[in-house]
Amino acid sequence: MAVLEMKQVKKTFGTGHKKVDALKETNFHAEQGELIAVIGPSGSGKSTFLTIAGGLLSPTNGEVLINNANISTLNEKQLSKIRLKEIGFILQASNLVPFLTVEKQLKLLDKVKKDNMSKEQLEQLYTDLGIGDLRGKYPSDLSGGERQRVAIAKALYSNPSIILADEPTASLDSDRAYEVMELLKEETKSKKTTTIVVTHDIRLVDYCDKVYKMVDGVLELQ
Amino acid sequence: MFLAWNEIMKNKLRFTLIIGVLMLVAYLVFFLSGLANGLASLNREAVDKWDADAIVLTEESDQSLTQSSFAADLVDGIDADETAVLGQLNAIAQTGDQKANVSIFGIDSGEFIMPEVTEGSAFTSGNEVIAGDSLKDDGFRLGDTLSLSSTEETLEIVGFTDEARFNAAPVLYTDVETFERVKFGEEAAGTDRQISGFVVRTADLAAVTDEEDLAVIETETFIESLPGYTEQSLTLNFMIYFLFVISSVIVAIFLYVLTVQKISMFGVMKAQGIPSGYLARSVIAQTAILAAIGVVVGLGLTLLTGAFLPSAVPVTFDIPTMLIYGMVLIVVAILGAVFSVLTIVKIDPLKAIGG
Ligand SMILES: Nc1ncnc2c1ncn2[C@@H]1O[C@H](COP(=O)(O)OP(=O)(O)OP(=O)(O)O)[C@@H](O)[C@H]1O
Ligand SMILES: [Mg+2]
Repeated sequence: MAVLEMKQVKKTFGTGHKKVDALKETNFHAEQGELIAVIGPSGSGKSTFLTIAGGLLSPTNGEVLINNANISTLNEKQLSKIRLKEIGFILQASNLVPFLTVEKQLKLLDKVKKDNMSKEQLEQLYTDLGIGDLRGKYPSDLSGGERQRVAIAKALYSNPSIILADEPTASLDSDRAYEVMELLKEETKSKKTTTIVVTHDIRLVDYCDKVYKMVDGVLELQ
Repeated sequence: MFLAWNEIMKNKLRFTLIIGVLMLVAYLVFFLSGLANGLASLNREAVDKWDADAIVLTEESDQSLTQSSFAADLVDGIDADETAVLGQLNAIAQTGDQKANVSIFGIDSGEFIMPEVTEGSAFTSGNEVIAGDSLKDDGFRLGDTLSLSSTEETLEIVGFTDEARFNAAPVLYTDVETFERVKFGEEAAGTDRQISGFVVRTADLAAVTDEEDLAVIETETFIESLPGYTEQSLTLNFMIYFLFVISSVIVAIFLYVLTVQKISMFGVMKAQGIPSGYLARSVIAQTAILAAIGVVVGLGLTLLTGAFLPSAVPVTFDIPTMLIYGMVLIVVAILGAVFSVLTIVKIDPLKAIGG
């Protein structure tokens, strides 16, 4: 069963001279338990693709289905609910709340949503990501890589059915980067989630089941 | 609450500043309300003490007790549950070096406007008075003999009573005969008793009198027409209401600036799927916390200041009024937050995260 499906999705920014076809007509589907990589040069449309998939950006044409439900017709409030329940975002820029400690970044999700990770699962996650000792710290006191790992923890904590990661390993050294990919793979397989990772790092594609390449708004399976 | 409180704890300095400003506004509001209250009692204390429904004065006096004068036997035409005669006169009382503006009330000791004596005794024979105890602050004592500005008559303070000021002057209560002698001189003795008004308690004001020359004035109306009273209370109340507006605007500006600074952070949370409603509630909760702390500290500070003020400053704190004003301050602060809430609702998560 396709967890995520795109039908003839197209995204155009601007009009007239300034018109940019960031994403040309795309058909795409991702199954449960799949780890998918999207690679491609800068400005090719990878982030555009990912934000449309996550219901953050609405396409110019076409339909996006999450768990067979069409999200293209939903309003902002309903989309927000879908994002909260179904999707874990790991964004290109840091996405932590500056005045919350690491621990409270996750606790915030408990305030707005049920069925997050259990205590034991959370402890395991801390260990896997190597951030157990950081839980009392504020984002401003973390290194870029540590912040990235906390962002990953935040995305996984809500047990989403789809994880969308935009350059999750960009600020990590290669050992950590491999570990993070390993972790994403494990999560994907054990929890039967669907994970899409946008990356520049060609070595990381070895961990993935499928690799797509984005060139000038055209997505192609490798 | 979770977000609101954690943010306050992380940015203590920033939020202490906001609380400080709110506290100062609250302090000013409470102090002005105390002043308004104090100045009002200065004028109306003695009248409130009557616990009366209305006062009957001559039509031509234009609601002024001092200007009203008529024969006491008109009481036969008055229809009320209780009626008390009242003669009133302003004078300067002097004993030794002490001088004070006073208001002399000529009353019948058996009627309901007779004050309770808190010190000394009631007047029993002519030229004895019960004085308002604020005169004690001016150096007047039991047994003092008072000479008056307008007459050769002298009065003796035989007792004191509390809450006895009328139109900013302490009251000297005496019998109607003494009042007449002070007002009209010796020759008035023996003629018809001339008084200034009847104080009445009744449910039916319209039925009090048919007399064309007399006007029945409700107690509250009577107080409002005391010289300077309405002007004073309007001015102070206007300042208080204006402060409410100011505090709302201050909060609005502060929060708006904070919110604009946090747009990308709110965007990130919205991208994550945290509902706008949750974020909006958190801003409201934050405002309520800040305003509540500011108001409580302001209240404490006001009461503390009040305890150290010299008695000459006419400040009287009325706790129920202050609680209401405190509530109003919190509510207007929250209204100030509405701006920021609208901003949050409108944030586009995608733009905010720079996606
Ligand atoms: N909001 C926007 N308005 C106009 N043009 C946009 C907007 N967002 C993206 N674009 C354009 O769409 C194209 C695709 O952008 P996108 O961000 O998807 O690239 P990307 O593949 O993620 O690049 P990178 O690897 O550098 O992150 C670019 O040419 C970009 O300039
Ligand atoms: Mg990108």
